[in-house]
Amino acid sequence: MEAPTSTSTVKKQIPIEEGLFYQPATPEEKPYLIGSKCNVCGNVTFPKMQICPRCAKRNTMEETHLSGKGKIDTFSIVNAALPGFKAPSIQAYVNLEEGPRIWTLITGCEPKEGALKIGMEVELVLAKVKEDADGTELISYQFRPIKK
Amino acid sequence: MRQVSIIGVGMTRFGKFLERSLQDLGREAVWNAIEDANVPIKDIELAYVGNALAPQLTELKGTIGQHILTSAGIFGVPVVNVENACSSGSTALRGAYLEVASGNCDVALALGVEKLFCGDTARSAAAMAQGTTLAKFGFMFVALYAMQLRRWVERYGVTKEQFAKVVVKNSHNGSLNPYAQFRRPMTIEEVLNSRVIAEPLTQYMCSTMGDGAAAAIVCAREIAPRYTSKPLIHIAACELVSGTFTFPDAEHEPITKRAAKRAYKKAGIGPEDVNVAEVHDGMAPAELLLYEELGFCKEGEAGRMIDEGQTTLTGRIPVNPSGGLAAKGHPVAATGLAQVAEIVWQLRGEAGKRQVSNNPRIGLTENAGGWAADDNAACAVTILKR
Repeated sequence: MEAPTSTSTVKKQIPIEEGLFYQPATPEEKPYLIGSKCNVCGNVTFPKMQICPRCAKRNTMEETHLSGKGKIDTFSIVNAALPGFKAPSIQAYVNLEEGPRIWTLITGCEPKEGALKIGMEVELVLAKVKEDADGTELISYQFRPIKK
Repeated sequence: MRQVSIIGVGMTRFGKFLERSLQDLGREAVWNAIEDANVPIKDIELAYVGNALAPQLTELKGTIGQHILTSAGIFGVPVVNVENACSSGSTALRGAYLEVASGNCDVALALGVEKLFCGDTARSAAAMAQGTTLAKFGFMFVALYAMQLRRWVERYGVTKEQFAKVVVKNSHNGSLNPYAQFRRPMTIEEVLNSRVIAEPLTQYMCSTMGDGAAAAIVCAREIAPRYTSKPLIHIAACELVSGTFTFPDAEHEPITKRAAKRAYKKAGIGPEDVNVAEVHDGMAPAELLLYEELGFCKEGEAGRMIDEGQTTLTGRIPVNPSGGLAAKGHPVAATGLAQVAEIVWQLRGEAGKRQVSNNPRIGLTENAGGWAADDNAACAVTILKR
């Protein structure tokens, strides 16, 4: 979680969707993505799935926690936005360490050409996607470049 | 399976028609097709109607086909409503085609109809993004196209000028098409200097909102001459697939490639036999990627195809003679059948100022939509033969 600045009023934060990620209860804990792993073929998915898309068997998927480490597969800096979302945004596909290729928003860097590269290492961070009509912050998984 | 011919096509102009209803648009396309086919309305035995966004943007919340067709004088027959995002029109055609091919009926109607302008642009934009559950996170289709193109650009060194050339070609074609939403030809400079929407895509490379409808009447080949003396256009293939997942240990075969492979096999032809094509260029530069995925050129050669003018109206294989999605307009569920109408006109030699010059005998349409698993949710490839 990106720490709220001391001047901002504390807003209510809720996950944009349940069951996608773990939100740390204490500063010592780390967030993680909630995925699934097939106990027959080893295929990993995010989000969690009930039927393995690789071997298509029933009752083989078990919940697994994903490290949130990955590499940028491709990305785009987007100057348009849907109503309620901010522009510019960075949207990307990330290849996670455990296998799945997932769509995500990128945060923690300038939305400018040159700030990102295909193949760049990124890590999971929980951050605000948008605000509800009543000001509640909707939080989701996002990724940021790993600082070296 | 019986052979099936398209005996009539019709469409409305695409554009912003705040004062026109879905019924109004659908009726015009249906009756244009009926008159083109010269078929008595009582001979239409069933209908498939494609629509994607009416429940969100209009007062029609269900059984949309029945509401529209009733107003067009068609009722009592089976009406099947289909929704497959931007591929809804082709999906409707496939349903009608299979009913006739199977011998279930002799004459069937396919209609694709959409109304995106509702007086509230934000509401329309939000509705158009609903082709995927990722919309709630801010996922945008323009970014998706941009991301696909970035990877491809880095691999093959395609330039922004080549992207712009696609828009120049298609806006020229659109300027000759009375059905097109945008009829102003554009220059490379204009395209490159327009606002960057999602790097590397600029405003004039992107399709936008539109209203419109398109229809086709299909008929068993053996009785088609009963209705029309125009050249019969046969459906050699009308294949539909859905998206697949990407696995880390396997090459992902793009959805368009899979749909095209099936269609070529069914039609007994190869990509080299195609004389004219209408492809789903939601963002015009994606047309280049589609040249490769449809097999019109080898991987990495699309840039050369556009540089050499191989896909212009006078080229080896004209692509998007109608203007494509960016110039002709993209009223979601109407697009697939508008592509089919254009190919029928081109194969008959009826396309007026935008008639291609290679006397085409075989045409192809490619119509993709939505986003599910790890690819488009749907993709239809149709092959038509004179």
